[in-house]
This record gives sequence, C-alpha cells and structure tokens, in this order.
Amino acid sequence: MNATTLALREGLARRVVRGVGSPRLTLALIALVGLAVIGHARVEGGLAGPLAAAFAMAAANLAAALLTNARLRADLALFVFHLSLLALLALAATGRLTALTGTLELAQGEVFDGHLLTREAGPLHPDRLARLRFVNDGFTIDYAEGWRRGRTTNDVRAFGQDGRAVHHAIGDITPLVLEGYRFYTTSNKGFAIVMRWVPRDGRPAERGTVHLPSYPLNEHRQAQSWRIPGTSREAWVMLDLDAPAIDPSRASTFQLPGAHRLVFVTGGERRELRPGDNISVPEGVLVYEGLTAWMGYKVYYDPTLPWLLACAAVGVLALAAFFWRRFGREGRGA
Amino acid sequence: MEAQLLGAAVAGYGLAGSFALVGTVMRRRLEMAVVGLLAGGLLAHTASLALRWERVGHGPFISMFEVLSSNVWSLTLVFLAAYLRVRAVRPAAAVALPFIFVLMAWMLVTHPDDGHFPATYRTLWLYAHVGFGKVFLGALLVSAAVGVLMVSGPPGARALRAGGLPDEARAEQLALRFLALAFVFESMMLVTGAIWAQDAWGRYWAWDPLETWSFLTWLVLAGLLHARFTLRLAPRATALAIAGVFVLAVLTFFGMPFVSTALHKGAI
Repeated sequence: MNATTLALREGLARRVVRGVGSPRLTLALIALVGLAVIGHARVEGGLAGPLAAAFAMAAANLAAALLTNARLRADLALFVFHLSLLALLALAATGRLTALTGTLELAQGEVFDGHLLTREAGPLHPDRLARLRFVNDGFTIDYAEGWRRGRTTNDVRAFGQDGRAVHHAIGDITPLVLEGYRFYTTSNKGFAIVMRWVPRDGRPAERGTVHLPSYPLNEHRQAQSWRIPGTSREAWVMLDLDAPAIDPSRASTFQLPGAHRLVFVTGGERRELRPGDNISVPEGVLVYEGLTAWMGYKVYYDPTLPWLLACAAVGVLALAAFFWRRFGREGRGA
Repeated sequence: MEAQLLGAAVAGYGLAGSFALVGTVMRRRLEMAVVGLLAGGLLAHTASLALRWERVGHGPFISMFEVLSSNVWSLTLVFLAAYLRVRAVRPAAAVALPFIFVLMAWMLVTHPDDGHFPATYRTLWLYAHVGFGKVFLGALLVSAAVGVLMVSGPPGARALRAGGLPDEARAEQLALRFLALAFVFESMMLVTGAIWAQDAWGRYWAWDPLETWSFLTWLVLAGLLHARFTLRLAPRATALAIAGVFVLAVLTFFGMPFVSTALHKGAI
C-alpha cells in the first residue's frame, strides 16, 4: 500500500467521521430519539430495542462531533457538556448490562438467603446476592384515615462476612445498602401464616410461613394455596377476620389481626383453626402456630449510579458556565 | 383568612395583568402600577400559601389546586424578578400575565383538596426538584412571552421597541437568554428528580408518563438550541419554536397529572 492510497483512505475515514458528527444529523437524531421515546411509552411492553438503537446512534453522532467539530472543542464548557452527555449515554448502557432488579418477601424473623421471587439482570451482572444476609426484624406502617399509607419503618439486621450483625432502620426513602445492592421496602406487605409440619416418615419437623396476598390491598382475598413440603398434598388456607385489621375510619398502624379464624382445606376436608390447633393428614401433622407479618422488598443494583450522578452534575455545571459566558458577554456588549 | 388572602392575590395579579395590557395597547407607561400590584399580590399569595401549609401540614405539592396555586405564585415571582431586573422584558407582561391569569382561573374552579402527603415526599430532593422545575417554567414563560410578541406583527414589534429592543435580532437574543436559563434549570430538575426517584421507588428512571414527557420537553428544548446555534434559524422561526416548547412544557406540567396519577403521586 503506497502513501497515496493511505492518504486517500485517511481522507475518506475523516470525511465519514465528519459526516457522522454533522450538526444536521444531530438534529435528525434528536427527532429520532424523541420518536423512539414516544414509541417506547405508547407500545405495551415498551420498545427497548429501537430506543437503545436511537440512543446508540445519538452517541455515535456525539462522539464523532467531539472528534471533528472544532467549535465544540474550542469552548471548554461546551466540550465538557457534550462529553458529559456522551459519558451519560455510555454509563446508562453499561448500567443496563450490569444492573439487577428483583423482588423478595421476608416474614418477620426470616433471613434473606439470596433467593429472589422475581429477577431481571443484565448479562454482565456480577451476581453476589447469595453472600448477602439480612433479617427482617419487623416493621411499622402509619396509616391516615381511609388507609392512606404514611411512614414505613422496617428494622433489619445485616450480617457482614464475619457474621457480625448491624442494625438498620429502613423504609420509604431509606434503603438498606449491602455491597452495592439497594433493598427498598415496598407497599407490598401482609400477613403470613406460621405453620409447623411434623412428617410421619421420621424426617425432622420444619417450621415455615405461607404469605397471604398483600394487605389491605387484597382485604377480601386473604387466601392462598400451597403444597405441604415433601408431599404432593395441596392445601388451601383463608384468613377469616371479624373486622379489618387496620381500621379505615381513623388514623392507625399496620397490625396483626386480633380475633381471627384460619379456614384450612385439604383433600376435600375443611377445618377452622385457631393458634395452637393442629390438623392430621396421612403424611403427618400440621400445627397452626399463629400469624406474623411479611414485607415485600425491591432490590436494585447498578454500579454506575455514582458515576451517572457525577457526570450529570458536571454536565449541568458546564452547560451553565457556557451560557453564563455566552450571554454575559453579549449582555456586556449590548 | 387563607381564602381572603388568596382572593386579594388574585385581584392584585388580575389588575397587574390588566394594567400591563392597557399599557401595551394604549402605549401608556404603567410599569410602577404593574410592579406594585404584582408585588402586593405575591405578598398576599405567600401568606395564603404559608397559612395553608401550616394548616394541612405539607407544602403545595399534592392536589391540582395546590400545584396550580404554587405555580401561579412561582411564575409570578420569576416574571416579577425578570421584570425588575431586565427592562426589555417589561412589554412581555402583556402576554405572560394573561397566561398566569388563565392558570388562576383554572385554580379557582378546582376543588381545594388537602390531599395526602406520601412518605416518599419527605425528602429535601422534593424541594430541589420542584424548585428547579418552577424556575424552568418561569424562565420559559418569559422567553415564550417575548417570542409571542416577536410574531405578533406591528403591535408586538412596537411593544418590543418601547422596551428598548429595536429589532428582531435583539428580541431573539433576549428570548434565547431566558430559554438557555430554562434549559439549565430543566436539566437540574431532571437530575434531582432522578435522585429522588432512586431513593423513593428504587429506580432513577422508568419512563413513567411524567418522566417521558419531561424528557421529551428537554429533548425538544435541546434540539431548538442546537438548531438555533448551528443552523442559524431565522429569529421568527426561533420565536415560534420557543412558543411551541412552552406549550409542550405546559401540557407536561399540567396535562400529565390527568393522564397518570401513578408514582409521581406516591403509591399507597
């Protein structure tokens, strides 16, 4: 390859990059991103692919403009603002690849063992959930008249790698942060039935909870089906309350119901249980120990969060500096 | 007392708007009267908002009445500051104050609910987010009002000349200054909103209707500034586009609560 060919290729590459970074193309891509955002908002389930493609094209245009546009590079504030925009796009993309969003439920006294009920993670997510441990030590929720939810305070103990427990009070705008994973309390919470199962085959007895649907959202649907552990036996339970556990006619707090019956159905047999009652089935004995509460949590992990904030702050400051100088100069000149 | 003070504020704002219109149409200098009435109205409105805050236990962030009332207050405050600081803005009062008057009329026919203040609103980020949003809308109102005068033919041009803007280019520069201010404050509004959303709902961005349309407003504003500075749009085209951005921002601020009450009102 001779020098002339090399020069031609370099010239062509420069023209291509300049074309990609053209200000007119920027305008078209802004319109394209806008259309993709509208499409994403209007289509059921969103249009993540087209939205990502539109942002990727905008990022390419921005990168090419930063390389080739002399006016952009001549003004430090303008350059930094556009560089911040590019970094924000890159970080948001990295975040999508590495982030995790999930949900979990823990009854009072239950330890989080890394298991999530729902989970959505990017392909590059470094899964460290299994080594996190915390226990739900109970929560309080204030209600205004009409079941309008107020402050939520959830006591939790988080365990470090050395097994040492640290107490945290979380809730509403205060998450529990463990190794970058942020655990948030949610409006999803309710009552859990505490059962002890004593199998007849000699296996050890086990104690567990059955979470009833969220309360008070599902006030009249406090029923749940589940399978007795180690058997193929299906069971159905329903919490029968004489009065709402949270009085909607006055300010109150989330509390366990006082007088209640537990309707228990298995194999066509129906029984009403009170705390301490048990029911015998061919595979063993179930003991109804009482009620407790469960809290639903949302977990979020995104390692780019502090960098996103830093880039956004630098970008806004650079933008303000650019306009301050531009219009300040014009103002003084006028 | 709260209602009486609000009534006094509405009267002050209404009279200020009327004086501004009369001054523009009749070419009379009524600026001191406009300033006095706006300032008096603002004082009464501030006292009314403070009394309501004390009574219901939270700021004006929840019900439509509160949102409209606080926006009337903040738009008037920003416009009055611009009116006092930048002489050339004064003719724009004939456009800006009638718009604020329309918001006031809407406020007066809205039920003044106390609303429920969600626990996720108990954060300083709420004040930062809402505060930046209010400055954004106020600056955009000033910019759009100047823009509307620019495209209003001879009466608008005459009013702008009376304010010391002899040609379209200077009027456009004034509109652009406030547009740039709006862009900076809208950016800050989005950033602080994302920080708050991360704390409150465990995600910094989720494309809910209010987030989507706020981002679209930011995008259109960015596109307009980009087009103006790189493609050299004509001043009238810029003025029309600014008015378009303002309409989009108003629909986002005041229209979206009718489309979605989720999340931004706090899940119960």
